[in-house]
Amino acid sequence: MELQLTNRVRMTRLSGKTRAWFTKPANIILLVFVILLGVLTLYPLLTLLMETVIVHSGREASAVRSLGLAKGDTTWWHFQKLLFTLNDGGAGGIRLSNSWIQFYSPFLNTMAVSLASSFIAILFGGAVAFLITRTNMLFKKFVSAVFVFPYIMPSWTLALFWQTFLKNTNIGTGTSNGIFASMFGIYAPEWLVYGFFPISLVLGLHYAPFAYILIGGILRNMDANLEEAATILKTPRSRIIRKITLPIVMPAILSTFLLTFASSMSAYAVPVFLGSPVRYYMLSTKMKSLMDTYSGQAYIIAGIMIVFGVAILLLNQKLTNSRRSFVTVSGKSSQISQINLRKANKPIAIILVAILLIVAVLPLITFAMESVIIKAGDYSLKNMTMDFWIGQNLTYLDQGDSNGILLSAKIWKALGYSVLLAVVCSLIAGTSGMLVGYGIAKRRGSKLSSAVNSLSFFPYLMPSLAFGAIYLSMSSHVPWLRGFALLAIVGSVKYLPFASRSGVNAMLQLSGEIEEAAIITGVPWFKRMTRIIFPIQKATFLSGYLLPMVSCMRELSLFVLLVPTSNTILTTMLMQYSEKGWAQFGNAINLLIVTVVLLLNYTVNKLTGASIDKGVGG
Amino acid sequence: MPGIELKNITKRFAKFVAVENFSLDIESNAFITLLGPSGCGKTTILRMIAGLETPTEGTIIIDGKVVFDADRGINLPPIKRDIGFLFQNYALWPHMTVTQNIAFGLENLKWDKARIKSRIEDLLATLHISQFAERYPNELSGGQQQRVAIARTLAPGPKILFMDEPLSNLDAKLRSEMRAELKRLHKDTDSTFVYVTHDQLEAMTLSTKVCILNTGVLQQYEPPLVMYNRPANLFVADFMGNPPMNFLTGTAQVHGDSADVTFAGLKGKFESENGFSLGGKDVVVGIRPERIHISSDGAIEAKVYSALPAGMETTVHLNVNGTQLTAVVFGDIDYPVDSIVRFSLSKTAILFDKSTGNNSAIGKLTLFGD
Repeated sequence: MELQLTNRVRMTRLSGKTRAWFTKPANIILLVFVILLGVLTLYPLLTLLMETVIVHSGREASAVRSLGLAKGDTTWWHFQKLLFTLNDGGAGGIRLSNSWIQFYSPFLNTMAVSLASSFIAILFGGAVAFLITRTNMLFKKFVSAVFVFPYIMPSWTLALFWQTFLKNTNIGTGTSNGIFASMFGIYAPEWLVYGFFPISLVLGLHYAPFAYILIGGILRNMDANLEEAATILKTPRSRIIRKITLPIVMPAILSTFLLTFASSMSAYAVPVFLGSPVRYYMLSTKMKSLMDTYSGQAYIIAGIMIVFGVAILLLNQKLTNSRRSFVTVSGKSSQISQINLRKANKPIAIILVAILLIVAVLPLITFAMESVIIKAGDYSLKNMTMDFWIGQNLTYLDQGDSNGILLSAKIWKALGYSVLLAVVCSLIAGTSGMLVGYGIAKRRGSKLSSAVNSLSFFPYLMPSLAFGAIYLSMSSHVPWLRGFALLAIVGSVKYLPFASRSGVNAMLQLSGEIEEAAIITGVPWFKRMTRIIFPIQKATFLSGYLLPMVSCMRELSLFVLLVPTSNTILTTMLMQYSEKGWAQFGNAINLLIVTVVLLLNYTVNKLTGASIDKGVGG
Repeated sequence: MPGIELKNITKRFAKFVAVENFSLDIESNAFITLLGPSGCGKTTILRMIAGLETPTEGTIIIDGKVVFDADRGINLPPIKRDIGFLFQNYALWPHMTVTQNIAFGLENLKWDKARIKSRIEDLLATLHISQFAERYPNELSGGQQQRVAIARTLAPGPKILFMDEPLSNLDAKLRSEMRAELKRLHKDTDSTFVYVTHDQLEAMTLSTKVCILNTGVLQQYEPPLVMYNRPANLFVADFMGNPPMNFLTGTAQVHGDSADVTFAGLKGKFESENGFSLGGKDVVVGIRPERIHISSDGAIEAKVYSALPAGMETTVHLNVNGTQLTAVVFGDIDYPVDSIVRFSLSKTAILFDKSTGNNSAIGKLTLFGD
């Protein structure tokens, strides 16, 4: 009797506790997201692993028929073929073997390019960061405004510009001369136009603003006293930089290095434009081309890229969390005295401005020019027309459409589709990020909270193309996951880390009492979010919406494997057009994308004060 | 007038126990202070009564209504407890003006516009901040922000007010000014105040009753002056009063109602008011600094180690046979360092049992001269 009673008390107590747990919105949010993210990140990863040991239809099935295997069977053949076929028995030796061509050579290329581009990004971005924060260089305003352009613009912009500008009939699949060859009669050599050098350079320039933001942030916030203390001790300027400043920014430099390395590794668009014409492959481009023929091997490459990406970024997290990452921000920092560049000031400033004009402005001019010439390689006025933009019913355009792009139904549909996708992804990712941030911050320290924290960061660790690949494999198991729904989900999950990071930051800056003051007066949760929490941290939350939107608008590698041919988006359409050699339309579309992205960024920046460089930083 | 009753409240976090089997009766209309060093669980208790934190075990009754009962699964949200809460960092919403900050909660309670308007006007006038009605919090000084926070908390007219170290972010001058205001407010609003602080002076000056906590356990619950004169144990005696009580280890030989006491090379006779409850003969003698009376006819000789005249009183550190004693002398008087003075004891002293730390006797201590 007594035992029964205590059992009853225990039960009520337990149910009371459960009920209390569920009355806290933070708990419900975390529970929902731990399940949702588990399904959306771990499940597709599992299906990816399965794809690496399964025989797919098409060429793969016929290749293994002699082994007595059919479609759907389980086999290690893909691994064997991709990684361990180093001697085909032919006369070519190792360099003509399947594994070398399909894997080892692209792998080495990838490593070389990633290394080189990271170096370029850090040297260039770091140098500019130093010039802006520590010297009295001229034109600082202009430089710091224009310098982030290449990072905001799609990564292939520079690549496409490089190719269009320097291409000539001597190299690659060159059928026409670019502006440079036409105007000056100089035919650039192949190594300058295609392959390792331009890919590294273009990626390096694209990620330099990223290095600039990270390193510049530390240089700007560094406690002036640290350097002043050394000055008081009569340390010469150069020694201060070497012994004080550099070691303090070192963790930021290392972190930048790892992040650009990981990003370069998974870059897809740039090697497509600057590598594929001369059969220079990286893992990403190789994986894409294998996907149509031997998808089992493609999935193995995707897996390897994921392992590398995760390893590098975990290393970065470990590094930035360790004791060696210095907290240098201090509230009481005075203005650091700036180095006087004296006579060198003007030359340095002018060279820098010139580089920036070439990198950020010239591409746009080139695209505009390329989109109005009729016959390739002829840049005289009489060879120019606006037909590719606003022409109607013109059969001579011969690029899959008889109307110019501004009047083309196809283009408008793709643009609409792109914008819709960007908006949907931004709404889902931004809102989820805000909720996740709320949950994580409110229940900080709990197991559930750290689980959601890691899960929401996980997609960031995965290379975009590989992330697309795992969703491709998952969509073959989930019948309704097709078309727009698939793109929207993959985009939202992939960009969630940006948004959840903004969300967590915003919530951590907000003292818990701010919300409790409203709880006391009985304000319901939804109203607390919309009337108190969101308005106070508007800028940070909005950047959680902005980042996914801008990234989605210019995203190619994430979607390239998944976009259905019937309902294409602008970026994949650009890729199709340039593969088909439809240069004018391609350039026009590119200009359209860049304009939309810059406009979007500018508008949101003006409206909310949120900007793309906020919240970025791995 | 609502009172509050806490019964056997325990709060466990993942690893440690913040509050252990804590019971407290708060009479209606009281001004109660929860006092203790940081991390003693006082804020947790306040937040549990307010409903911002859920106790692991126990029962909370406010105004005769059970608002929390772990066994019965009752847990009312803050709004149903009819309370106000004043936060340490004010928690003013930075995107709303002073008026909006105060109005927000009232709108939420579905007050009509005219009533909200007149209520706000009243409050702003009471707290002398009418001229800031349309300012944003960041345009106000700390003291002004504090007044707005108080106005916002008082707006719905809560019968119980919780305050979590509300004055700790103000400078010394403002703090003493706000102290006076709070005491006035308690009288004017006719409500029950529960106040958390680690500042013993605040607790002494403001409360009708002080509740001292140490590591989640209640030490003593009495009116402040009772606690000052009759501390339950060493912890309480040390916590209340500044400069703190002198503690001197020694021995006591009990004969009926008096005892022979030896400490710091001194001998004396202790006449108890309430008998002795000593386990052994090891004691700690507790003497309040202001009860060490410095005068030329004092029984004992001491050397001045240092003297700190503050105008109204002077704190004198004395050296007696190698032991330090702190004395407070009222008035503007200074003593040269290393000069020789004489002192005797006035009023009461306390004997603590050395092994338990508990108060074992209160009485008059007379020191024997050489």
